[in-house]
Amino acid sequence: DLMRVRLAGSRADSQRPKTNPLVSISDEPETLYKRLSLLVKGHDKAVLDSYEYFAVLAAKELGISVEKVHKPPKNIERLTLLKSVHIYKKHRVQYEMRTHYMCLELKYLTSSTAAVYLEYVQRNLPEGVAMEVKKTKIEKIPEHIQEPVWDTLPSVEETEVKS
Amino acid sequence: MVLRRVKKDGFEYIATLQRVKKVGFEDIACRKEESGKVCGSLKEFPEDSVDKHHFYLLEPLVWEQWLDVCPFCTTALRRVKKGGFEDVATSTRRRGRAPQFIRSHVPPRTERMAVDQDWSSVYPTAAAFKPASVPLPIRMGYPVKRGVPPPKEGNLELIKIPNFLHLTPPAIKKHCAALKDFCTEWPSALDSDEKCEQHFPIEIETVDYVSAGTSIRNPKARVVTLRVKLSNLNLDDHAKKKLIKLVGERYCKDTDVLNITTDRCPLRRQNYDYGIHLLTVLYHESWKTEMWESEKTEEDMEEYIWENSCSQKNAVETLLRIKASENVSNVTKEELLASEVVKNYRNSVIALKNEGETENTMSQYKESVKKLLNIQALP
Repeated sequence: DLMRVRLAGSRADSQRPKTNPLVSISDEPETLYKRLSLLVKGHDKAVLDSYEYFAVLAAKELGISVEKVHKPPKNIERLTLLKSVHIYKKHRVQYEMRTHYMCLELKYLTSSTAAVYLEYVQRNLPEGVAMEVKKTKIEKIPEHIQEPVWDTLPSVEETEVKS
Repeated sequence: MVLRRVKKDGFEYIATLQRVKKVGFEDIACRKEESGKVCGSLKEFPEDSVDKHHFYLLEPLVWEQWLDVCPFCTTALRRVKKGGFEDVATSTRRRGRAPQFIRSHVPPRTERMAVDQDWSSVYPTAAAFKPASVPLPIRMGYPVKRGVPPPKEGNLELIKIPNFLHLTPPAIKKHCAALKDFCTEWPSALDSDEKCEQHFPIEIETVDYVSAGTSIRNPKARVVTLRVKLSNLNLDDHAKKKLIKLVGERYCKDTDVLNITTDRCPLRRQNYDYGIHLLTVLYHESWKTEMWESEKTEEDMEEYIWENSCSQKNAVETLLRIKASENVSNVTKEELLASEVVKNYRNSVIALKNEGETENTMSQYKESVKKLLNIQALP
């Protein structure tokens, strides 16, 4: 049922032989990512805008559904320092560091699609821009949590709890 | 002016000759042919009889071949091999010694670019901005007063900013077409969040960090968060209550979600394994019933239970006393508990304690008390 559905992609490929010799198909089931959240941080808003256009277009071309693109408000860190090396306390100089953010949320990716998209998008990260990727993986409940183990274990005499 | 071929010592010159008056010593001269004026004086001497004291400073320089351009009129000087009354033939040559490495000015590449060219071959990868390769009239920078921003030639601002010239839409489409082979499809059966929840109840959240710096490692990357809904786990009533007590703050009552965040191990995989181990241990421990759990008091209860509470005792006692004062035949406790009014009262008290005080619950309690004690509403 679901295992078959998950491997459907790889099985269909083996029926129609691929001409691309670089693609290798393995039998292990893919991990599924329910949501992939990209947070991009930079000092220049124009650079982030261009990057957003690029990332959204790349996601569309690769067939990934984009949930939403939003821009959290910018964060400005200001410093007020003494202008001179020695004395002159009344004369200061002020610096500020502006960090602009852009958040891109993608839905429903398999691990190979996620790997391809992330590598493409991270290799083309412009200089001076940082990225945080939050991956939400979904999994079945492991076998050892399905049933309480006390039912299956042979009955052992209860030992007194020694304090 | 007489033109004569002069052959001296194997050298042949075509010289314009002029008689220079011999006045003891002759000077070094150069003569501009067109204007005919003399700007200096030139002296011819046989090489072995050079007497420098009375000469112009120019002379030794000419003889020692340091000077080949007349400083007065910048025409080249050439030494005639043999002395006598022959002038040095002058020839106009390029002023000064031209530097060896002059690049000839080539028109920029933009002039030879067609409108429908393949731009991805001009900028295949990320590269700095080259004004001669980009056929756009871009201006960037702070404009001069009552003027425009500076043009693209030699513009440092354009070179500093990261450009996306290698990522135009056709280039992106080409890249994605080549990458599409490596992607797999999402299973079509899981098209909504609820179905994902039903088949895959556990969610594991991990964060990756990409930034430029001396190190690619980020210590925050080892944090792993496990989220699971307790309704998906195989728990009975007692186990669920015990699990919630064990877990404490990590359980959210409104959404019925258990969050386990682990970062005590140095690697992400270790943290994930530890999280799964914690979940397993919690699950199994909550199914166990310890001996001391039977000592659970009323304060430990999560919700209000009416049976064996003082509210029940008080209500039953009051009703018994009422019945006794009215001299009705003794009704048993069970009959009282099974009667309608008491059941109503019980429900209203439970609602009040568990859900808190709202308009609804308070009015319900009022009604049930009135019915219990048979009081009519005050006018």
